[in-house]
Amino acid sequence: MPARQRLIPARAGAAQVLAAIADGRSLDAALERTRPRVAEAERALLQELAYGGVRFRLRFEPVLRARLRRPFKPRDRDLEALLLVALYELAMMRTPSHAAVNGAVEAAGALGKGWARGLINGVLRGVLRDPRALAAPADPRGAHGWPAWLAEELARDWPQEWADIAASATARPPMTVRVNLARVSRDAYIERLRAADVEARPGKAPGALILATPVAVERLPGFTEGLVSVQDEAAQWATLLLGVPAGGRVLDACAAPGGKTGHLAEIRPAPGHIVAVESDSGRTERLREGLARLSVQAEVICADATDTAAWWDGRPFDRILLDAPCSGTGVIRRHPDIRLLRRPTDIDALVQTQARLLDALWPLLAPGGMLMYATCSILRRENARQVEAFLERQGDTVAVPVDPGAGRADGAGRQILPGESGMDGFFYACLRAGGAER
Amino acid sequence: MATLEILQYPDPYLRHKAAPVETVDDEVRALVDDMLETMYAAPGIGLAATQVGIDRRVAVIDVSESKDEPLVLINPELVYPEGSGTCEEGCLSIPGVYEKVTRPACVTLRALDRDGNPYELHVDDLLAVCIQHEVDHLDGRLFIDRLSMLKRQRIEKRLLKQRRRDGDSRRAAG
Repeated sequence: MPARQRLIPARAGAAQVLAAIADGRSLDAALERTRPRVAEAERALLQELAYGGVRFRLRFEPVLRARLRRPFKPRDRDLEALLLVALYELAMMRTPSHAAVNGAVEAAGALGKGWARGLINGVLRGVLRDPRALAAPADPRGAHGWPAWLAEELARDWPQEWADIAASATARPPMTVRVNLARVSRDAYIERLRAADVEARPGKAPGALILATPVAVERLPGFTEGLVSVQDEAAQWATLLLGVPAGGRVLDACAAPGGKTGHLAEIRPAPGHIVAVESDSGRTERLREGLARLSVQAEVICADATDTAAWWDGRPFDRILLDAPCSGTGVIRRHPDIRLLRRPTDIDALVQTQARLLDALWPLLAPGGMLMYATCSILRRENARQVEAFLERQGDTVAVPVDPGAGRADGAGRQILPGESGMDGFFYACLRAGGAER
Repeated sequence: MATLEILQYPDPYLRHKAAPVETVDDEVRALVDDMLETMYAAPGIGLAATQVGIDRRVAVIDVSESKDEPLVLINPELVYPEGSGTCEEGCLSIPGVYEKVTRPACVTLRALDRDGNPYELHVDDLLAVCIQHEVDHLDGRLFIDRLSMLKRQRIEKRLLKQRRRDGDSRRAAG
């Protein structure tokens, strides 16, 4: 058999990606699989159509449903996806409409479904004839493609802010990097970026730089040598607000992919010892690779963080960073597939896992030590209410107010909503154990 | 080592059923090495001896991205086919033609390796597709045989036109 499979047009590739997500695959994984099958010159278009198709899928599904006499058979989900991608292109991109329609018709052939050319053409031309078909629905949920269950919970949690939250999901996030201040000053790195023709401005976090336009990491000077890492400013604050003391023992629980572990190691004066725990062995490997790129040292342990008997050596930690597994509802703008893949029952399970992690890790703290509970969620039951319940269970605990320069106090912690000061949605609660302050 | 010429459809030798290898000797090993070189140069992920005009039940496969996991199949046998899957296939002997083919999704392969030692492998995904495709070659079968008559006629018409355009009248007549 020949090595290379036939190349497919970007629109067919985007349809395959969208269909793969409907089968439960993640956007990243699906794109990685499809990218090699699309010609290099068309890969930017593939990326744009795939992200756009995912971001707006739930908005255009009803438009499509109204125009089909019967739903597609399961094996023709790629055609449904192709139409959704085409609707995104017609409504949101500047492609001339005839080019978008012809592209979709041609893509049906590339998907091996030439019989559907007439159907694709007919549906899309029908949409173009109806001036109201592509107009944005008035309510934020429909306009920005939210599943009903999630929209309802968020509107309950954030009645004032809901409209902005809804819109943030279809906005394009900036590319933010963290300069390794242990090795280079931020000003010096801005100069290096300028020399490489990359425009950037400083963020509020001391090492944060926000790029004017996203670039491939290979274009960042010194990336492979660890001068810089890609990390949203909100995530940078999780480490900064922990206030790691010089020479202290620090635990990074749930550490993969290791952005925060690397950040902990870059802090000066340096912590004495960093332990990074991650339960997934594949992700642990990537964590090690990431730390090697930064040439920093940390003790990496592959274990379930809650099973402390299995991995803890009994020496208490001065600081614990618990970046807990969560719904990811604060980073939907970066991972639009979250809205399509998450189920309401997932949240219940996550809330339980978070509580288990808090309870299991708390005894590992030295007297007066601090634990940072952080999530990239904007659901209050994962955040303020989770911490409130923990404080009720743990008597001898003080919540220390923290300020990442954005967001609002919520219960014992602080909540940034997505897009505020350009940041991802994030929650922080800094909890101090009883005893002398360390 | 040398690269070998890959026979092109409709070369009648592609319909030949290959004879089993009696002993895995240096001659067979040299064939394996030449076939691997030919396959990597093509570039391909699988090649059967029938495709290079050799009457031996020998095939080589490498479906890895890094092209460093060669699999040698001598006297291969396929047992316990399970399930069914559809994958787009092409063939080094039928350049430019890619069609979806439905085959069992998993199979168990029994064969001899380059040193003549028997092995058994349970495979799925692309490797299962490729193994079945190459074993078909050793039986004189091509992946287009597994398509509908209509599809196959359309492909043959297209190939005929292509050959006329290329001015290769000898093959067109064959």
